[in-house]
Amino acid sequence: MNLALAELSRLVARRFVQLMAVLLIAAFGVTMATTVAGSHQPTTAEWERAEREVQLTQARLEQFRQECEQRRVSRTFCDGYLEREPRVEDYLFGVFVFSHEITDLLYFMIAFLALFAFLVAASFVGAELTSGGMTNLLLWRPQRATVLGTKLATVLAAVLAVSVVASVLYTAAFYAIAQATGVPGAVDAEFWGDLAVTVLRGIGLVLYAAAIGFGAATLGRHTAAALGLVATYTIVWEIGARIVFEVVETARPEQYMLSSYIAAWMDGELSFPERYLNDEYTLTWVHAGAVFAITLALIVGAAFATFRQRDLA
Amino acid sequence: MDVTSTVWFWPMTAVIQIEGLRKTFRGLRGGARVALDGFDMTVEAGQIHGFLGPNGSGKTTTLRTLLGLVRADSGHMSILGQPAPDALPEVAPRVGAIVESPQFFGNFTGRRTLRLLARAGGVPAERVEAVLAQVGLRDRGNERVKAYSLGMKQRLAVASALLKRPELLILDEPANGLDPAGIREMRDLMRELSSAGITVLVSSHILGEIQLICDHVTIISRGQRVTTGPVSAVLSGFDKGEYRVRVGDLARAAEVLTTAGLPVTKNDDHLVVADVGDAAWISEQLGQRGMWVSELTPLTPDLESVFLQLTGTTPEPGAPRQVDEVVKPGTIDLGEQP
Repeated sequence: MNLALAELSRLVARRFVQLMAVLLIAAFGVTMATTVAGSHQPTTAEWERAEREVQLTQARLEQFRQECEQRRVSRTFCDGYLEREPRVEDYLFGVFVFSHEITDLLYFMIAFLALFAFLVAASFVGAELTSGGMTNLLLWRPQRATVLGTKLATVLAAVLAVSVVASVLYTAAFYAIAQATGVPGAVDAEFWGDLAVTVLRGIGLVLYAAAIGFGAATLGRHTAAALGLVATYTIVWEIGARIVFEVVETARPEQYMLSSYIAAWMDGELSFPERYLNDEYTLTWVHAGAVFAITLALIVGAAFATFRQRDLA
Repeated sequence: MDVTSTVWFWPMTAVIQIEGLRKTFRGLRGGARVALDGFDMTVEAGQIHGFLGPNGSGKTTTLRTLLGLVRADSGHMSILGQPAPDALPEVAPRVGAIVESPQFFGNFTGRRTLRLLARAGGVPAERVEAVLAQVGLRDRGNERVKAYSLGMKQRLAVASALLKRPELLILDEPANGLDPAGIREMRDLMRELSSAGITVLVSSHILGEIQLICDHVTIISRGQRVTTGPVSAVLSGFDKGEYRVRVGDLARAAEVLTTAGLPVTKNDDHLVVADVGDAAWISEQLGQRGMWVSELTPLTPDLESVFLQLTGTTPEPGAPRQVDEVVKPGTIDLGEQP
């Protein structure tokens, strides 16, 4: 516990971490300011026009449903087409509608948090390995697995805490903006439940990014090693291999890309077209979880295994 | 707290025992460099043991291996009677160490650095103030480490090693970056620690300091032990019984002494006479012949000259020596060396 508290003190005191935290807050601030600047409380006239639009749309949809049934198209098709009832907020323009936009805004926040977590975790171990700080610590606690494990656990706990606090504050801030200069929209229990799942998945992704950054920097003994891994993977695999897959007409190229699994993880499931069939295949969050677990085991496991054996400068 | 207030009593047992230690560093491209080649060393309890060797001879590798930072290829090590590195977690609280120039987190103050280390090692926070005062950083403890000079960082490193009240202190180049006053303070500190019963193993290139501080010494070259033993014994092994003699008529004095069977080297203003058993005999022989001796000084070897001779690193004018140009142990006749 003492070691974890000492590591937490070191983490919080790092200039890089402080800088990243400021950038994180600044990015969120700019997003909120932009939202506030681009929204206004709907006037009575705008509201009445939106209500008229809803009534017209409902009438059109009802007519469509009747025609659909008369043509004896499957009931499922018709119901599916008419599944979502039009709402007033769909016809309010220049107005921030919380229920419409918060999911995309959360994706932005999660992307930023993942970048923050990756860099902070990588630098937390990379800088210590480069500077000799790790050596100094091992003279005090000559238990390599314990020292590295505590460092990883500390940075993951810190990232988790930041992510939870940021998610709550971020969501609450946009809800307050919607109350003040927009409209909340349809925010029932189901909506909040779905939003909570999105946030939880996002935090999972953030922790994954932190662990991968930490593992890569440990393997390469340097913060830059983690950045190099991401750059290399992106250029060689996500871009280069994708082109090769297109050229050789691989059946399901998306299933070899980590980005597909990240998207599937966040959406719950994601469908891609089959190349030679008039069909599609689906990647789910379960598939994504398995891929995350395997890559984590490979990179973080290798980091621990090599760290136990390597000579330290 | 003054370290002298706590005294540990030790029987004369090996605090550090190293036998047949081997380590080869292998590069990714297949290159290999033998750093330790069957190195042996014993440090007894209560010693201030100097550890000497030319650059690249294996000193730091030995210390790093002993402290578990580098993995040995073969050999046996024990520290405070426990096998190393396996039992290091158990003995670490009793061992203070600095290896080369330790790096500290620049944004922390010296005091905070020590507090964090104390917390990580389960050491009471009160020790921080004691060791800061002990190394002369009490009034500079609230400054950030990045503002420290090299010497101040070195003092902080020594402070960190002292935090645990170690029974064994391992110091790699502790005087590195220290000013003359700092070197003297470090010397006094080591003596103080030794008098409190702490065993000190110190590696340094400042041979004059080692000779002043240490009672025992081990010299390493090319990964092998060249010699070891009490400093006085190591030096006496190279004592040729030489005397510097100043006298009015150098040529005649040289003739007298040579005739008496003594090897004499004639210099511009003095003679160097070897194999002298009794200095009074020289004075008597020359006096009987009307030559009055103005200087008769024993030429005892110092650690630097012994070190240079043992490691074959004596500089030659106009011939820059390369780092690995050292004598392989065993090629020098050590005579009666211990």
